[in-house]
Amino acid sequence: MTKATEQTNPLREGLSTRAVPQPCAIVIFGATGDLTHRKLIPALYNLAADGELPPAVTVVGFARRPKSDDEFRKELAETTKQFSRQDVREDIWKTFSQSLFYHQSEFEDESGYQSIAKRLDKIDEERGTRGNRLFYFAAAPEQFEPILKNLKAAGHNKAKEGSWARVIIEKPFGRDLASAQELNRVVSDAFAEDQTYRIDHFLGKETAQNILVLRFANAIFEPIWNARYIDHVQITAAETLGVEGRAGYYETAGALRDMVQNHLLQLLCLVAMEAPTDLSADSIRDEKVKVVRSLRRYRVDDIAKLVVRGQYTSGAINAENVPGYREEEKVDPKSETDSFVALRLSVDTWRWSDVPIYLRVGKRLPKSATEISVHFKKAPMVLFNRDSTEHDQNVLVIRIQPDEGISLRMMAKIPGTSLRIEPVKMDFHYGTSFGKASPEAYERLLLDAMSGDATLFARRDEVEEAWAFIDTIEQAWTEKNAPSLTFYPAGSWGPEEADELLARDGRAWRRL
Amino acid sequence: MPAAAETVSLGLPVAIDRIDRELKKLWSEGEGAMTRASLMNLAVYSEEPGSLTRNTQLLARITENHACRAIVIGADPRAKNDRMEAWISAHCHLSRAGTKRVCSEQISFLLEGAMVKLLPSIVFSQLDSDLPLYLWWQSEFAEPMDPQLWSWIDRLIYDSQSWRDFNAQIRLVEMAQREAKQRIVLCDLNWTRLVHFRLAFAQFFDHPGSHHHFREIKNGSIIFGNGFRSTAILFVGWLAAQLGWEIRSEKNAGPIELGNSDGETVRIQLQEKGDDAPIASFTAQSHGIEFQVTQADCGDLLEVCRSKLGEVPARQVLPSSENDPVKLMSEELMRGGPHHVYLRAVEKVRELL
Repeated sequence: MTKATEQTNPLREGLSTRAVPQPCAIVIFGATGDLTHRKLIPALYNLAADGELPPAVTVVGFARRPKSDDEFRKELAETTKQFSRQDVREDIWKTFSQSLFYHQSEFEDESGYQSIAKRLDKIDEERGTRGNRLFYFAAAPEQFEPILKNLKAAGHNKAKEGSWARVIIEKPFGRDLASAQELNRVVSDAFAEDQTYRIDHFLGKETAQNILVLRFANAIFEPIWNARYIDHVQITAAETLGVEGRAGYYETAGALRDMVQNHLLQLLCLVAMEAPTDLSADSIRDEKVKVVRSLRRYRVDDIAKLVVRGQYTSGAINAENVPGYREEEKVDPKSETDSFVALRLSVDTWRWSDVPIYLRVGKRLPKSATEISVHFKKAPMVLFNRDSTEHDQNVLVIRIQPDEGISLRMMAKIPGTSLRIEPVKMDFHYGTSFGKASPEAYERLLLDAMSGDATLFARRDEVEEAWAFIDTIEQAWTEKNAPSLTFYPAGSWGPEEADELLARDGRAWRRL
Repeated sequence: MPAAAETVSLGLPVAIDRIDRELKKLWSEGEGAMTRASLMNLAVYSEEPGSLTRNTQLLARITENHACRAIVIGADPRAKNDRMEAWISAHCHLSRAGTKRVCSEQISFLLEGAMVKLLPSIVFSQLDSDLPLYLWWQSEFAEPMDPQLWSWIDRLIYDSQSWRDFNAQIRLVEMAQREAKQRIVLCDLNWTRLVHFRLAFAQFFDHPGSHHHFREIKNGSIIFGNGFRSTAILFVGWLAAQLGWEIRSEKNAGPIELGNSDGETVRIQLQEKGDDAPIASFTAQSHGIEFQVTQADCGDLLEVCRSKLGEVPARQVLPSSENDPVKLMSEELMRGGPHHVYLRAVEKVRELL
C-alpha cells in the first residue's frame, strides 16, 4: 500500500509512524450531519492527537445552516468528546479546533463555491495549506451532482501548479448500474479517476486489511486456498439494529444495495483475489475487480433458488420487544424492502471452481457480527470420519467486527482410553494480543486520501461491475413472477429459506 | 486463581522443579473467565537490591499492553552464600472490550552468589516455546559475556543513559551480538526516549520541497536535562547519520561541530538545564527559518513550531515520550524491526559519548 511521500525524507527512516501527508484544506459537504460529527471530526482529532497530521491541515465545513466558526467548533467539541476513540484533551483540542472553519451556503448556490474559493485562498496564505484540497461528500446522495457541477464551475477541480485536488465520495455510490455510471460520468467530468476516492469504510478496518496479510504473508494458507481444499466460504454481516431513523434511505435501498453491493462484495474480493504483483493501489484493485467480473451472473430462474430476500417482523432482541420493519416510522406498511438477503455465489475461476460462496446480511438478527468463514473439505473418510458431521471440517474464521481476530477449528482427540474426537478452536484476538486499540476506519482512510493512496478505496470499474451483478437480482425481484419476500421474526437468524439455501447443498450456516 | 497471585507481590513461592506444575495449578484454580496471553518471553535482569519487587510493579503495568511470559531475575553475584528462590504470579487486566480478563504469567527468581551463573539455564527452561526472547538488562554488562545466553536472545534491551563508559559497554554488547551471529536486535531505551522528538523534527521535512533545508541548516541547539547529555548526543548522531554529516569535534568540546555534505560547518550547541525532561528543546535554523521542538509544560506533549520572520508561525502539539520506564518499554515493544538507524547514529557519535 503505497505512500506518496514516504521514505523520501531521510529523517523518517526507521520511525514507525508513516510520513505526515502534505498540508491541505478538507472541505466537508454536509458538515452539520451525523457523519461529520460522529466519524469525520473525531477521526481527524485522533489523527492530530497521534501526531499524524501536519499543523496546517484545515477543515472547512460547508452546509446550509447559518453558523459562525465558533459555534461550529463548540458543537464539534461536544460531539468529539462523545464519539472520539481516545479522550479529548483540552490542550490538543484547543490547537486542533483553530483549524476548523464553517462556510454557510446552499449546495445549489454557485456563489457559495466562489466565496469558498476566496476563503480557501486566504487559508492557504494564513495557514500554509499550499493549495491542496480534499473535498469530502458527506451530504445526501442527491446532492452529489449539484455539488460536483458547482465545484467544477468554480474551478475547484483544477489544482494549482504543484498542488492537488481530490474528492472523497461516501456511499451509496448510485442505486443501480445506470445511476452509478451517471454519477461516475458527473464525477469524471469534474475530477479524474486518480483524484476520486470512493470510500467503503469496511476496507479501512484493521481486520479487513489483515485478510491480505493472512493470505499472502503466511506460507501455510495460500497452498490450500483453492477448490482442492476449500469446501465453501460464508460471509455474514449481521446487526441487531433496525432502520434506526434511516427509513427514508433504506426504503429505496434495502439490504442488497446497502450492504452487499459494497461491503460484502469488497470482503469477498479480498478473500477470493489472486496475489497482486505489488502493493500499489492499482495492482490490488486490478485483482479485486477480476473477482467481481468472475462472479457467475444469475439467470432469472436461478434467482428464486439462489437468492433469499427477507424482511423482519416484530420480535425480541436482547429480551426487548421490537417492532417489525413495516411498523417502523416512515416505512410503507406494505413495504417490500429487503432487510435480509442471503445469496449463493460462484466465482468462475480455476481457484474457486465449484466452491460456493454464501453471503448473508440482515437487520434485527440476534447479534451484531461481521465474519468470514472458510470451510475446508473434510479429511478423507478412512480413519476417523466414519460418523462424520459438519463439525468435522476445519474452519478458518476471520472476525471483522466486533472482537476482531482469527480462529481455526480443528479436530482433537478427547483425553481418555477410547478414541473420541471433538472439534477444538485455536483463537487469536487482536484485543488480547495487542493492547493498543486499532485506529478507526475513517482515520486510516482520511489519512490515505490526504497521502494520495487509493488502495483502500473502490475504483470506478469495481463499483460498476458490482452494480452490474446486483442489478440482475434487483431486476428479477421486480418481475411479475418474482420470488416472494420472506419474513423472519426480529431476533432470529433470518427466514427459513436462508437455511434451506445451504441445506440443499448439504451445508448449514455457521453458528455465530 | 488465588487472589494473592493477582497483586503486584512476587506471588506464590515455588520449588524450581515445580514451576510448570504450579503454573498449571494457578490457571486451573483460577476463578472466572481468564485468557492467558503471550506474545513474547520478556526476561528482566537486575542486580539492584529490591529490583524484584520494583520490576514486578513495572511488569504489572507493561503487561496491560504487552502480553508476555515475564521472567524476572534479581541477582546478587557478590553475595557470600549461594541461594536461589522462585515465585510465580500472574498479571491480569480487563481486555479493551471489558469482557474478559487477559493474564500474563510471571516467574521470578532471586539468585545469589554462584547461582547467578545458572542464569542461562534458568531462562531457557522457562521459555514459552516458539515466542521470541527479549532480555531487558538493567545492569552494566560485565565480562565474560556468556555466549550461551546471548545466542538465544532476539532483542536485547538496555538503557545506555546510565552507563558510565559508553564505549566499553557498547563493545561488550557488540561482542555479544557477534556471538549471536547478528541475530540480536539492540534496543537502547535512551534511543527510545528520542522517538517522539525525532518524529516531531522529521515531520517538518516530509514534503520534498523542504529537503533543501538539510543542506542549509548551519546552527542548532539542544537543551537537555540533568544526566541526559548522552541522549542529546544520540540525537546529534541521528542527524549526522541521516543527513550525511561528519563529526569534527572531540569529546567534551563546546558546541559539537559537524561538516555537512557540502563540507560546510554545522554547529550544535548543547546546554544542560535542571529540567526533568531528557530533551527540553531542539532548535535548528536554516536561512531565516527556525524549526523548533519543545517539551510542553504538561510533560506528555511536544510543541512544534516552524517560524519565519514576517510569517504566522505554524504551531502544533504532538505526542511525546514520557521518561518513565513503563512508557519507554511499551514504546520499544510496540516498535519491533531492526534498529539500523540507531547503529548508524551510535557509530557517528560513539567517540563523543
